[in-house]
Amino acid sequence: MVTIQAAMENLRELGINPVTAVIGSTQQLFQWDEEKVNELKGYLISQNFKYHYENNSFYRMLCEDSGVTPADVQSLDDIQKIPLIPVTSFKRPDSHLLLSTSLENIEFEMRSTGTSGIPSISRRDAETLNNCVFSIYAMYREMFAFSRGAGLFLFPSPEEMPEMGMVKVLNMLSGLFDATRCLVKRASFKPKEAIETLEKWQNIHTRHIIGPPFLIYKLVNYLKTNNIHLKLDQKTMIINLGGWKRFSGMEIPREQYNKECAEFLGIPEENIRDMYGLVESNILAIECEKHSKHVPPWVHFSLRNPKNLAEEVPQGKRGVLAIFDPTSLSYPGFIQTEDLVYLKKENTCECGRNGQKVVYLSRVAGAEIGCCAINLEKHMDAAEAKSEMAEV
Amino acid sequence: MYNSIIVDYFSNPRHSGELTDANMELKIGNSVCGDTIFMSVKVEDGKIFDAKYKAYGCATSLATADIFAEFIINKSIEEIKQQPQHEIDKMLGELEPPQMHCLNILHELFEQIRSAA
Repeated sequence: MVTIQAAMENLRELGINPVTAVIGSTQQLFQWDEEKVNELKGYLISQNFKYHYENNSFYRMLCEDSGVTPADVQSLDDIQKIPLIPVTSFKRPDSHLLLSTSLENIEFEMRSTGTSGIPSISRRDAETLNNCVFSIYAMYREMFAFSRGAGLFLFPSPEEMPEMGMVKVLNMLSGLFDATRCLVKRASFKPKEAIETLEKWQNIHTRHIIGPPFLIYKLVNYLKTNNIHLKLDQKTMIINLGGWKRFSGMEIPREQYNKECAEFLGIPEENIRDMYGLVESNILAIECEKHSKHVPPWVHFSLRNPKNLAEEVPQGKRGVLAIFDPTSLSYPGFIQTEDLVYLKKENTCECGRNGQKVVYLSRVAGAEIGCCAINLEKHMDAAEAKSEMAEV
Repeated sequence: MYNSIIVDYFSNPRHSGELTDANMELKIGNSVCGDTIFMSVKVEDGKIFDAKYKAYGCATSLATADIFAEFIINKSIEEIKQQPQHEIDKMLGELEPPQMHCLNILHELFEQIRSAA
């Protein structure tokens, strides 16, 4: 039987990029057993590590400081040796050092800002952007199977915020729908307008609501306050991205959120789905109907001891997330995040998919509470306060 | 996407850092997109002796800060004030539409020097 390494190398010889071929096989990969997936991930990650080692002088220096060369990284068992890029590096004024290619080859800058207002900028060249777009659409198709319907977008249009990661990623769903409407305009959201739009789409489209939890929660709270019970469609999805902690510090209670969404929107709870991603990485982990967040099968999540990031913690225990993403070529996608998470103990799921399943807990102590959603909420709160002042 | 001027100044910044003896501060901040520049300037007898900056944001805005710092160093405030608009417009080279906000940032930096002096 042909080994995974030989198969991947044959693809390369034929002029087919193994990474994109793998992304195109998302559905099949979720059925692979752990050993086979790990062999595949080990191959892709070790090849990607070699690429950055050879093309990025700053990263090579980090590797030399750690005494690691591509010869030391041959499989998934070796990837703990790969030096990680702290996620805060993307906020540094000297973030040009992270590039494994010239700025001339960069096609797109994506950003996220937290409470400090300092943006985190990730720069992607054509191939990285291809991989990123393929990855996200592959996961959208796999987890939601959208090909029609209408999306009520509770986030600003990309025209208002063209480089904001959350907006860009959520707006990609518009390509799968027949109708969409962005209801956050000039930092303002009117729940009444959302209800009118949903009613207008009734019996024409399957209606979906997409946005950061704080805005969907705002809509649900409006329904609750006014005792309005909508009855959306059997296949309606409520898709969340952007963190459950609010700018005020309050955490939106997930269980209560699910129950109230189901009650006031008239949909089954399993259709309320959360996603996890970060602008610095090309990954999007998406919840299945059993509320397990599946990591894309070509990406590896490793959890680290918060007190010693070099030490990996066992599956099932909480730790700081390190991401090994082989789809990034413009900069090393080996990222030490500031997110405290755990991986569910079993790599199987009632939904039928195999692979790592991540549960987000919080930011690590001392880390900036930041994401696109929090910045958006802060901006909207300020705009609302200004508008109220003007009315007085 | 990036012209050669932006590639050069972004990839090889000449004036990033902080001045300990600055007596003028310039600040650019955009609460939505987050492009931010903190520039510290040392002025003596109406002449700029040194300028350093810390910038956060897109590659073009980081290059803009560096290009501006290079321009003002060793110039008198009067010379800077008299820099014609059309010359300022050329300083960043040809920009693509999504980068044009950096030209506004550059003009804003000039404006801050004019008002601060």
